[in-house]
Amino acid sequence: MYRYDEFDAAFVNERVAQFSDQVRRRISGELTEDQFRPLRLMNGLYLQLHAYMLRVAVPYGTLNSRQMRMLAHIARKYDRGYGHFTTRQNIQYNWPKLRDVPAILADLASVEMHAIQTSGNCIRNVTTDQFAGAAADEIIDPRPVAEIIRQWSSLHPEFTFLPRKFKIAITGAPNDRAAVKFHDIGLMAQTNGSGEIGWAVYVGGGLGRTPMIAKLINGFVPHEHLLAYLESILRVYNRYGRRDNKYKARIKILVHEEGLENIKGQVEEEFAHIRGGVLTLPQEELDRINTYFAQPAYKDIGVVDIDIEREKIIDSAYGRFLENNTFPHARQGYTSVTISLKPIGGAPGDATADQMDVVADLAEKYSFDELRVSHEQNLVLPHVALTDLRAVYDALVEAELADANAGEITDMITCPGLDYCALANARSIPIAQDISQRFASPERQKEIGKLKIKISGCINACGHHHVGHIGILGVEKKGTELYQITVGGDGSEDAAVGKILGPGFVAEDVPDAIEKLVDAYIEKRESADETFIAAYRRLGDAPFKEALYGNG
Amino acid sequence: MSKILTGNELLSGATVYLDGHGNWVEDLQIARVFAKDESEALDAALAATKATGRVISLEIEDVEVRGGLVYPHRIRERIRAEGPTAPRFDRQHLDEDSHVSI
Repeated sequence: MYRYDEFDAAFVNERVAQFSDQVRRRISGELTEDQFRPLRLMNGLYLQLHAYMLRVAVPYGTLNSRQMRMLAHIARKYDRGYGHFTTRQNIQYNWPKLRDVPAILADLASVEMHAIQTSGNCIRNVTTDQFAGAAADEIIDPRPVAEIIRQWSSLHPEFTFLPRKFKIAITGAPNDRAAVKFHDIGLMAQTNGSGEIGWAVYVGGGLGRTPMIAKLINGFVPHEHLLAYLESILRVYNRYGRRDNKYKARIKILVHEEGLENIKGQVEEEFAHIRGGVLTLPQEELDRINTYFAQPAYKDIGVVDIDIEREKIIDSAYGRFLENNTFPHARQGYTSVTISLKPIGGAPGDATADQMDVVADLAEKYSFDELRVSHEQNLVLPHVALTDLRAVYDALVEAELADANAGEITDMITCPGLDYCALANARSIPIAQDISQRFASPERQKEIGKLKIKISGCINACGHHHVGHIGILGVEKKGTELYQITVGGDGSEDAAVGKILGPGFVAEDVPDAIEKLVDAYIEKRESADETFIAAYRRLGDAPFKEALYGNG
Repeated sequence: MSKILTGNELLSGATVYLDGHGNWVEDLQIARVFAKDESEALDAALAATKATGRVISLEIEDVEVRGGLVYPHRIRERIRAEGPTAPRFDRQHLDEDSHVSI
């Protein structure tokens, strides 16, 4: 993985020194809160309901064991022994104290991490496929390009005060596991007629109060011109994006209001000016970055035959783990293992410091020291030899991290909601807990098959409810938390925004409502192979609406 | 509508309330409840607190007194007073050097 060069290290260390002094001046009273607030936000330090929250960037969701151990150390020393992994592939600490934050940032810097640009109207952490660099279906490993985008966008002087925050997602595989069409810019690897690999560029996607599917603005941008093209988009957005209304300031609104063709014309004009200039990526620089992401020294394991059906009979929990939590690897004899952070009745995305240490040990011992955070709030050991799989599983069981529910109904994305978040209107975590307990039985989950539930505690949609096969949005009405249910959303390459079926439900009625939807699906599906989302596409709203509200 | 003054203490970030003695305290139940006709006192307390620079994210919240207990109207405020509900975590506490008075 990428290692900081002298410029990266100096830049991050300088920032730690600057912020340490800013904290000192704030505490002494030299800085007012109005002066300090933008400075702390630039360093990922928010104020939430109960305390400060520090959001630490995990660039494109990739980290090594040393970094994970440092995250555990921070949780233990400065927080309450746990952290929360987010849909942005980052980690959040919920209880840091202001005086400790400079020391936390110094600890992070010692392992080449920081919290810069995890807040504010700038280009945020680039997110990607959690199986990047490992997946069998990958056209190209997107991480080198993600790293180049990280370098380009870090403290970019022109794009530090954009109309609003800006999120870029990138995938190197045709099966989109990074929800790229719901980002301000989404990049998908493409091969052109000459067999060259470049990037299809989508623009203007997003969730929040106005969900939009990104539109294809350019079907093929070659590697060497990608930064120039991104800069062209950002320039047009920076110039014309609405600064008069926070709710209309994202690029999705600009693209929607001005029309794709108009925006495309402006971008192409800008691109014509800067194409071939200083942002052209030299091949040697691409090669240099690529070397950081070279394939690990795989062993020649050959064909390892794991009979999942047999394992399911011998040890059903392990069999289920094999079925759900392993993902096809590009290299024969290896697999990517999803470590679910969705225990039944737990808080989705939370991991204790001890669990982080275990995961770090496993990465070091069994995954070439590599780890990933998924936007679905799980962790991944990307390169596990099939011959080591049982040992990895046994260690996960020991650490209470072997929930074999990846991709099933209890593997929910859930925002922190009103238990932590200053913006939320309703709680999310207890809803997820109740649903996971309702569907706890492995047999029931298997019967239902792949189904993505996503829960947000407010319209800002951090829990991606719009793209849940079943989405749940918490609102507050007259002092009561109510939950609106949507059906039919999809964050994959078949992007779709879910539809609200009717009035909301009080919290205690949500598990029943979900069960009614699930039962309607099972009753109406053509076979167990037809997934919930496929059945919804074939059947439309009607049977689901009837299941929830009757046919009156 | 009765009101209370609440905010977060600068160093710990802890949720705090203004009590009847000008102290910013952790316990909602000893918060000073400003009656409808005490808006001048409320404004004065707000200004005095801002001058300390030690309580941030100041908010005026609607409450009622139910059976002798201060009951905020918003769910948000009820959760802020107690700490996260799921799983239940203790709220943030003030450190020794983070007590603020006006």
